Amino acid sequence: MLIFAASDKGGTGRSVTSSNMLYRSALQGSDVCYLDFDFGSPTAGAIFNIDSAVRGTTRGGLHDYLDGALAEPQRIEVWTESDRASLRNRPPGAGRLVLLPGDSGGGEFPATRERIERCARLFLRLEEEFDLSLVDLSAGRSYATQMVLAATAMPELKSVRSRWLVFHRWTRQHVLAASGLVYGTRGILDAGSRAGHDYDELVNRLRFVRTAVVDPDSPELEGLRPAQVAWLRECNQDLLELASNNRVGRTMLIGSVPLDPVLQWREQLISDNDVYARKIANLETVEAFSALAKLIVDDAAWEML
Amino acid sequence: MLTLGEVHTGLLQNSSSLSLENTAQLLDFLVGQRVRRSERPIAYAVSPDQLTGIDCRLPTHTGSRTRGVGTVVSHAAVTGGHVLQGSTYTRLDRAASNRRLIWSHYLSRPGWVETIGKVDIRDVAQGFLGPTYQPQTLNLGAISARLIDAVQSSARLDRRPPFRTKRTRLRWAVLPAPDQSTEAHGKFRIESDTLRTLELTAPQEAVPALVEFCEDLALHDWLLTTLLSLIEFSLTGPGTRTQRIDRLRPAIDCLLHLWMPAARLDESVLPVWRDLEHRPGFTRQWQTSVTRIRDQVTLSTIALLEAPSR
Repeated sequence: MLIFAASDKGGTGRSVTSSNMLYRSALQGSDVCYLDFDFGSPTAGAIFNIDSAVRGTTRGGLHDYLDGALAEPQRIEVWTESDRASLRNRPPGAGRLVLLPGDSGGGEFPATRERIERCARLFLRLEEEFDLSLVDLSAGRSYATQMVLAATAMPELKSVRSRWLVFHRWTRQHVLAASGLVYGTRGILDAGSRAGHDYDELVNRLRFVRTAVVDPDSPELEGLRPAQVAWLRECNQDLLELASNNRVGRTMLIGSVPLDPVLQWREQLISDNDVYARKIANLETVEAFSALAKLIVDDAAWEML
Repeated sequence: MLTLGEVHTGLLQNSSSLSLENTAQLLDFLVGQRVRRSERPIAYAVSPDQLTGIDCRLPTHTGSRTRGVGTVVSHAAVTGGHVLQGSTYTRLDRAASNRRLIWSHYLSRPGWVETIGKVDIRDVAQGFLGPTYQPQTLNLGAISARLIDAVQSSARLDRRPPFRTKRTRLRWAVLPAPDQSTEAHGKFRIESDTLRTLELTAPQEAVPALVEFCEDLALHDWLLTTLLSLIEFSLTGPGTRTQRIDRLRPAIDCLLHLWMPAARLDESVLPVWRDLEHRPGFTRQWQTSVTRIRDQVTLSTIALLEAPSR
């Protein structure tokens, strides 16, 4: 299955949430791969602690592949090549975790016929060996988004299942921006139906993920003054209304990830070690990632009411 | 004279075993040429040969620049309705002149690449088999992979494979034997979890039989690799015994009956198989794995029989 991760604004936690979700999915036993389609600023290497590809690879990544410079993009096996001790060594029962990095000094490029075909070919090849292939797209209405919409509309990919996750923070601006990215002109649905997708079917395959959410009922907010909590509650209520008016509401929501101090400071994978031994990350955050990893493949979660 | 080749092997993206008739139609992508097929001892079909013109640098171990111009031959094959292979190879020969000739000259020698300038065939063979990534040089694997892609994207396949697995690559080279009476022999190496290399030394007339041998070896190496990874995934993963056995089901359904080493091979290359059977011992490892699967199934049956009836 192909999963596309999109967001309207940068800094929504799209990359860090989707890589953590994928990491959980690998721990649950699926063979997964992560494709860094954020050509302008490849960062996935940093999240998976691959020192040789922190700002993209120099050994032929996705950008060069799509451009036709090489026959196959580089692959990095995270379990063996990560420079972080707690990620090395594949835990028993875990599936493969592979990163296809972008190129350092890449950049956006228009989706030509050849690039779309190469993209489709790559998806089909990955589909042969991975249960989940997650494609991390650049923020906003990007060429990368247009390219994957055109590629997945090709007849060869008709029987390949694909799903879209749109990440946004839980603020007014982000809710409106996410709604615009999906429903607006030249948004995902608009561009998708132009590329040959069925509009309603594409809506059914798209869900929102809220990131860095502060729960007003959380015990962690005990230190706040009553006035602050009351204000938070009011804001949350407003946001819920705004979201549902902009079709970003509960029926289109697949998960939300709480605000976590670790992710505020550094984009990284949260290992069980970070939660249980070092106690620097919250258990709720990891549980949210695990739940998300289960929900993206759970057909019941994708049924429309 | 040197022969280079690369075989890619993967699982055909179809939910069930494809009948020989359908396989033949699947591989019939060159108009006017017939798909060769055989039913005994195992269903097998191979597409007609396809030529690809090349003009590029050859990979070398020392980094010296050698240019090759000519054509490479490739074909796709399906075994047992499940396993798909893309195979590409070419023979290298010194060109008579030191410049590129008109294309019809190269077309008159299909499957030959002529090297322009000085060439050390051992250096090329080492560069080709070596693990270092050499961009912008002859990449036979890319042609094999494209051929597989082309077959896999056919509308005749339902793209619901019983399990997911990696493709494996066998890169091989045949160096000329010092004299014609030498028996073919080779060195097989596992370079990574998907790449294997085979360096053969053999007399020239054995080359056509060796192409088939390499395809057969690639097929069995893929079968073994895939079976071992399925066993590992099933038996080390979480869950009850029934769940584990269930995860072995695709192996029983699709793989166990495909093991038939050297089934269609020419007598002259059988010694190479015999060497590989001696060490590392493909069939030995396969048999042990099959027995292990059968034992697991038996144990689970016993457990079912012993369970108190409800």
